[in-house]
Amino acid sequence: MKVSGIGMICAQGLGVAVFEESLKKGWQKPGETGAHWLAPLDRLSKSSKAADSTNSGDSMSGLTGLGNEKAPAYLVKFDALPDKTLLKKIRRSDAVSKMAVLAASDALVNSGIENIAAKRLGIIVATAFGPHVTTFNFLDDILDHGDAAVSPTTFSNSVHNAAASYIAMSLGIKGPTLTITQFRFSFQSALQLAQVWLDQGRCDYVLAGAVDQYGDVLGYVSDHKLTTAKDGRIKPFTFNPTCQVPGEGAAFFLLSNKSEGNGYCSVNAVHTNDDPGQGKPVDINIIDADGMLPDESAYLASLSKDIPTAAYSPLFGSMMIGSAFNVAAGALMLKQQRRYATPVQDNPQNIHLLTESGSGPLETIRCIGYNCYAERSVLYLAKA
Amino acid sequence: MLITGLGVISAAGNDLAETLQSFEQGRRNAGPVTLFPTILKSPVFEVKHLPGEYYLEGWRTLSLALVAVDQALKEARLFDLSGFRVGVCMGTTVASQLNALQFYKTYREKGAAPMTSVDRFLKGNLAEYIARRINARGPQLSVVNACSSGTDAVGTALSWLKSGLCDIAIAGGSDELNHVPYCGFNSLGIANPGLCAPFDRDRKGLNLGEGAGVMVIETRDTARKRGVSSGLFLAGYGTSSDAYHLTAPSPEGVGLRSALHSALSESGIGPGSIGFVNAHGTGTHDNDQVEGRALADIFGPDLAMLSTKGFTGHTLGAAGGIEAVFTAAGLREGWIPASAGFENKDEAIPISPVREKTSITKKYAISTSLAFGGTNAAIVIGREAEA
Repeated sequence: MKVSGIGMICAQGLGVAVFEESLKKGWQKPGETGAHWLAPLDRLSKSSKAADSTNSGDSMSGLTGLGNEKAPAYLVKFDALPDKTLLKKIRRSDAVSKMAVLAASDALVNSGIENIAAKRLGIIVATAFGPHVTTFNFLDDILDHGDAAVSPTTFSNSVHNAAASYIAMSLGIKGPTLTITQFRFSFQSALQLAQVWLDQGRCDYVLAGAVDQYGDVLGYVSDHKLTTAKDGRIKPFTFNPTCQVPGEGAAFFLLSNKSEGNGYCSVNAVHTNDDPGQGKPVDINIIDADGMLPDESAYLASLSKDIPTAAYSPLFGSMMIGSAFNVAAGALMLKQQRRYATPVQDNPQNIHLLTESGSGPLETIRCIGYNCYAERSVLYLAKA
Repeated sequence: MLITGLGVISAAGNDLAETLQSFEQGRRNAGPVTLFPTILKSPVFEVKHLPGEYYLEGWRTLSLALVAVDQALKEARLFDLSGFRVGVCMGTTVASQLNALQFYKTYREKGAAPMTSVDRFLKGNLAEYIARRINARGPQLSVVNACSSGTDAVGTALSWLKSGLCDIAIAGGSDELNHVPYCGFNSLGIANPGLCAPFDRDRKGLNLGEGAGVMVIETRDTARKRGVSSGLFLAGYGTSSDAYHLTAPSPEGVGLRSALHSALSESGIGPGSIGFVNAHGTGTHDNDQVEGRALADIFGPDLAMLSTKGFTGHTLGAAGGIEAVFTAAGLREGWIPASAGFENKDEAIPISPVREKTSITKKYAISTSLAFGGTNAAIVIGREAEA
């Protein structure tokens, strides 16, 4: 299937052009967010109800107001977006839905295909954690006000498929609409299903993408179970021990079996749990390593001395759906016929890295992901 | 694609045989919530006797799923999955969310909390857990499409099988009764203070329930190689979005009509071939009105139709899986039960559910699901012609 349009939002901003600019610039220090779990426990216990109006609607506002504890994070800045027309249209939605709608809409615009929303267009939204911040807000409601006095609006926004629904409503898409979750392979599963839908004629186009959000509970869990890079640098090729920097965002792809629109590349195959093409020559390997597993050494088995390897997680942060952003990077490189150097090049294993950016022919890129069971997912991208 | 195994657990019974008894006797096993403390009064349909060997601490949704999976595998005589590409596609709502109230309460109070709930959540992706448990090595997918998740999971499995991604698929849905959606549905004002009455003139909302429904679906070629046969097959799937409202269905049922037409089209049949429809029929004012009108328009006012939620409650992400199993059983048994809770015809709905046990002779039936977010899904199940 063909990638005919890409839309994305991440810490760098909205749009594939912004993302491409960040690929050119290389690694930039991320922003910071409150990290109350880094405060001494005696202070935490005294302050659970301390209000902090500066916190941006996240749950646990009392705790996030503690002291100056900060942790690096790649967070989306809605306030910095130049055009807020669409945001106003979905003002009652939560951050997950906002990111999804903005990226999905951006993908349709980016395709340049006229009146695309009215065509036989389906939606597949992949997410690892869904609207967890809204879920915790709803739990706040239960804890603070009791079972009988909770907010129906918060509840309806806490349902996993709310983001897909907002996409359908705000863009007027009436085709098949599905939300799926498979943790680390959520996005790959979405692409696999998109191919099936297109091949079986369930629709002519599929808007498939992934979205996940940062929240302070997830930040606490990540910091507790993993190692956070205090300097904000994810080192994807260190493998063990790893370090993560939380990220959030959404990346959507307009897919079809026709060569149409803003042709980026083809997605030639999506494999989960196996890779029949192992050993097949490609121009670049892109790996999803981002510190979200304490040991990412499994990637070593998929790499080759002959093929340069890149990982772009240091640009957008650690996310279970990070594969979507790496695929966007691969699609951009194939479209532009230009390589983008892997942004953080610490290389203790002496891997053949893609160390320099530059133009040159590119035919195929392999995107590789591993989950916590050391199972592999592989995507093959090819020049359009 | 043949349906070679069925598994189901709900308040109506711990397996299909018990469920059919409940259907015949019109038994409605609803009562107050016992699984968690609450001041709310809306009755629920709980599974009262979860088989002990399936009990998993803090993983009730998975426990329910495993009961149904084992039943379905047993009926399909699928004891050794090696040598087959087996996909697992399951719908859920609760298992996809870290809505652990006690974890969050502790975290909120102390700024830290034990990770037990988090670990369960991270290891408890429904499809992934089942696949690992039974050693299935094909595609895995947890569908989280709210109340249509189970139907969408069965439909996705059909797509996988048709595309050759797997030879056998285990598909359906599972959800436990959980404190969070129980409060949520109450807040929406659609939780019934009494027992639900789908399509009834005086309906006052839904009752929540819990359970799991699972099918083993396989290609005819695989079934032949395994030496198994079946009188049932999955014929078609349709899904469509209303693009209308986050919680209310489109008044014209735009998405539902489209989903039904797609499912019929894939099945290669017309509305006249349908023997009965197992409707979503939640017992809420809007759902039943929209669904009833759409069904009457497409299939005519004489269609045999029922909602089984009067026996199970609304089991959310499990509903599509459970109702797919009930639909298949109705075709196989040749009868459907009286639609529990229905007494008075609603003049605003030009079709009524069946009031008594009804014989089914036609070879096809449909199960529908309508969901939050305006997603609609329908599957067509067929019965093989007798030799």
